Amino acid sequence: MSEALVTVEAAGTGSTVPAASGARLFWRLRAQRAALVAAAVVALLVLIALAAPLLTAVEGQDPTTYHPSLIDSARGGVPVGSFGGIGADHWLGVEPQTGRDLFARLVYGARVSLGVALAATVIQVVVGVVVGVAAALGSQWVDQLLSRITDVIVAMPLMIMSLALLAIVPASFPRPVLVTLVIGLVAWGSIAKIVRAQTLSTKGLDYVSAARLSGWRTWQIARRELLPGLAAPVITYAALLVPMNISVESALSFLGVGVKPPTPSWGQMLTAADVWYQAAPQYLLLPAGALFVTVLSLTVLGDGVRTALDPRAASRLRVGTGRKDPAANARADVGQTAGSADVTKKKEASA
Amino acid sequence: MRQPSVIARRVAAASVSLVVAAGAAACGPKDNDAKGSGGDSTPHKGGTLTVLNSQPQTDFDPARLYTSGGGNVPSLVFRTLTTRNRADGAAGAKVVPDLATDTGRPSKNATVWTYTLKKGLTYEDGTPITSADIKYGIERSFAPELSGGAPYLRDWLTGAADYQGPYKDKKGLSAIETPDDRTIVFHLNKPEGEFPFLATQTQFAPVPRSKDTGTKYEEHPVSSGPYEVVKNENDGEHVLLKRNPHWSEATDDQRKAYPDTIDVRSGLDSSVIDQRLSASQGADAAAVTTDTNLGPAELAKVTGDKDLAARVGTGHFGYTNYIAFNPTVKPFDNPKVREAIAYAVDRSSVVNAAGGSALAEPATTFLPNQKSFGYTPYDPFPAGPSGNPAKARELLAQAGYKNGLTVTLTHSNAKDFATSPEIATALQDALKKAGITVRLQGLEDNDYRDTVHSVKTEPGFFLAGWGADWPSGGPFLAPIFDGRQIVKDGANFNASRLDDKSVNNEIDAINKLTDLDAAAKRWGALDKKIGGRALVVPLFHPVYKRLVGKDVRNVVISDWTGVLDISQVAVK
Repeated sequence: MSEALVTVEAAGTGSTVPAASGARLFWRLRAQRAALVAAAVVALLVLIALAAPLLTAVEGQDPTTYHPSLIDSARGGVPVGSFGGIGADHWLGVEPQTGRDLFARLVYGARVSLGVALAATVIQVVVGVVVGVAAALGSQWVDQLLSRITDVIVAMPLMIMSLALLAIVPASFPRPVLVTLVIGLVAWGSIAKIVRAQTLSTKGLDYVSAARLSGWRTWQIARRELLPGLAAPVITYAALLVPMNISVESALSFLGVGVKPPTPSWGQMLTAADVWYQAAPQYLLLPAGALFVTVLSLTVLGDGVRTALDPRAASRLRVGTGRKDPAANARADVGQTAGSADVTKKKEASA
Repeated sequence: MRQPSVIARRVAAASVSLVVAAGAAACGPKDNDAKGSGGDSTPHKGGTLTVLNSQPQTDFDPARLYTSGGGNVPSLVFRTLTTRNRADGAAGAKVVPDLATDTGRPSKNATVWTYTLKKGLTYEDGTPITSADIKYGIERSFAPELSGGAPYLRDWLTGAADYQGPYKDKKGLSAIETPDDRTIVFHLNKPEGEFPFLATQTQFAPVPRSKDTGTKYEEHPVSSGPYEVVKNENDGEHVLLKRNPHWSEATDDQRKAYPDTIDVRSGLDSSVIDQRLSASQGADAAAVTTDTNLGPAELAKVTGDKDLAARVGTGHFGYTNYIAFNPTVKPFDNPKVREAIAYAVDRSSVVNAAGGSALAEPATTFLPNQKSFGYTPYDPFPAGPSGNPAKARELLAQAGYKNGLTVTLTHSNAKDFATSPEIATALQDALKKAGITVRLQGLEDNDYRDTVHSVKTEPGFFLAGWGADWPSGGPFLAPIFDGRQIVKDGANFNASRLDDKSVNNEIDAINKLTDLDAAAKRWGALDKKIGGRALVVPLFHPVYKRLVGKDVRNVVISDWTGVLDISQVAVK
C-alpha cells in the first residue's frame, strides 16, 4: 500500500508545503471551491449561533416574548403589515398567532440545530471509535459481542428508535441534552463498523507488528499506531454525520418530540408553519431555507473532506483516472481544483 | 358508562360552520333573511350536492352510528322519533318531533315516555313504518356485533343492562311497549327529563325486521328519510344518495331535500377540501363539507378575499376547551395553586393560539355560552383578558410557593388548535409571568387521550375539551362532575374526581325536570357553584368557520351542531 505523500504548490507562490495531515486536509480542501464556499457558510452559521444573544440584543428582541398587537386576531392571527410584519423592529417579521420575533427564533434555533448535531456527532464518533477499535483488537469473544451489538444498532430504524426513547423519558429531563444523547447513542453503528474494518486491515501491517514485538501494550498500540491511521475515515464519516444529525433533530422537533417550547428550533418552526405556507409564506420559508442552507453546506463540506482525505479521489484530482475524456478531465480539474487563475500542482511520492 | 369524548370528537368533526354563499342568499325559511346580495337566491329542487369530507361515513347502520341530533348525512336517510330543529342559531338547539307527533309525553316523574307516530309514514319501498320497527331498531343497537352507539339506552331503559340484542334474545326488551302500530312506550329506570333529546339519535330510527341483514345492513339500510342509499363503497368512503320517492314532505317539516342526488366523498386531506371549496370548479361549485373547519391560516387567506369571505358560514357548537386538574396529584391538591393558575391564564393569547377572535371566544364558564345549556355568566377568578400574574403570585405565596413553582402541562401533539402545542405554549408564557415554570409534555394524540382518560395515568395538569351529545347542561356537566361517573377501569372524564353528594343530588334532581327551560337555569346555577372550586379553568369556546361552494344556497347553521345542515342546502 502506498501512502500518499503530497506537497501542494500554493497558487502563484511556488512554495511547497510538507504534508502534515492537518495541513494536507486544508490544502486539499482549498483546492475545491465548492467546499471552500460551504466551509465559509458553515463558519458563518456557527458564528451566528454563537452570537445569537448579541444579534437579538442589537435587534432589540428576544425569541419568546408574545406581541399580540402585531397580529390580526380576527384574521386567524396573521401578522399585521406586509411581508409578515418585516420592519426595523422585526427584521424577519413575526410569527403568526403569537407575534414572536422570527429573526430571534431563527438565530436561537440555529444554536439548537448546530449544537445538538455537533454534540451528537462527537458522541457517535467517540462511541463508534471505542467500540470499533475494541472489537478489532479484542479477543474473538469480545469482537463477536461488540459486532453483534453494532449490527443491532445499525439495523434499528433511527427515527423510530428516537421517537420511542424520547417519548418515555420524563419531561423533567433537560430536553436538548436528551435529544443529543438519543441521536448520539442510536446512530454510532456505521462508524464503529468502518473503524473496526479499518483497524483490522491496519493491525496486520509491519509497523504495528513491530510495535507489538517491542512489547507495547494493546492500548498503546491503539493510541500511537492505529488511531492516527483512523483519522481520515473517521473525520470523513463524521463530516457526513453532522448534516444527517441536523436533519434528524429537525425531524424530531417537527414531530413534536425534539426540544420543547419555549426553546425555539427550526423543526418546531416548520411544523407550526406548514399550514401557513399560503397566508404567511415567510414563516415557512425562513426555517426551511435555514435548514436547507445548513444541511447543504455541511454536506458539501463533508464531501470535500472525503475527497480531500481519500487517496483515490486525490489521485483522480491529479490524473483524472476514471473519466473517459482526459481533455475534459483536465478542464474539469482546473475548474474544480483552483479556478481559472490558480494553478495547483501535486506531487506524489511512494512511501 | 358514557363516553362523551368519542361523542365530542365525532360531533366536533360533524360540526361544520355554515357557509353563507354570497349570491346564495341564505333565505332559509326560518331566520336567514336579508343575507342575499343579488341574483335569484330562492332555493330550488334538483341538482347534485357534493360533500367533501376527510372522515369516511363508516358503519352506516342506525344501530352503530354515534350522532348528535341524528347526525348530518345519517339524518338524510334515517328519521327518528324526534329530531333537532333545522333552524339557524339558538332556535336550532330545540328538539322537535320527527316521526312522532310530539316530542314525547312523560309520566309524572319522567320515567315513562309515550310517543305516537304520524300517519302515512313509509319506507323507501312504500311499506308502512310501525312502532314495532322502532322498537326493533333500538333492540338491534344492543347486539354486540352492532356496537358503536351511545351508551344511554343501556343505562336508562329498565332491565336493559345485560340485554344482548334481538339475534340472541328473541324475547326483546320489556322496557319498550308497542300497544299498537302507532304507539311506543319507554320505561326508564330513573327520571330522565331529557329523553326527547336522546330520541333524536339514529338508534330511534325504524328498521324493518324482515330486511335486517345484521352487520351487512349498513351496505343498504332501508331509508325512512328523503334519500336512499344507492352506493356505499369502502365502508362509507364514497356514499351516493338519491331521492327517496316514498318520502313525503307532508309528514316531514324539518328536511327540505332540495338536491336530487347527494354524493359524499371522503378520505380527503382537510387542506385539499378547503382548496377545492375555495376554487369551486366543476362539481365543487355545488359542494359542502360536513367535517372540515377553516384553520387560522386558511381563515387569514379567506378573509383577504371578498368572494371567499362571503362564502364562509359561522357556527357555534356548544364546546368548551379548558385546563383540567387532577387534585390527587401535588401541587394541584392545593386549591390556591389551582386558583393561582386560573388568575395567571392569559385568555387573549390562548384565543390567538386557538386561531384568533374569529375562531374562539374566551370562556370563564364551563358551560358553553348558549342559553340551551343554561349558560349563566360568571367569572370566579376575574383576571381580565390577559391575566393577573400579580394576584397569582400572591396566591402562590399563600400556598407556600414564594419562589415560584415548576409544573408539567400535558397536551396533545395533534394540530387541532384545541389541546395542541400552540395553546400549551401560550399558557407556558403566561404562567411564566406569575413565577410558574411550565414544562410541556406533548403526547401523540391517541396516547394523549388514553393517558388523560385513565384514572391510573391521568396527569395533574392537562389541556382538555368537552362537547355534549345534545345541547343541554346535563350531558355537559354530569360526565365531568358527577362522582358516580368516575370510571375506574375505562375511559374516565371526571378528571377532577369530584364526588360531592350535593352536586350528585342536584344532578339527579334536575334530571327529573321535564321543563327544559327550568332545568337549564338550574344547570347554570350548578355550573357556577362548581366553578368556584377551580377544578377546571375554562379557556375558550371554539367557533366554526366553513367554506361552501359558490352555487350553494340556503345555508342553515344551528347552535345544536354548529355546522351547515345538509338537509336544508340547495344547489339550484
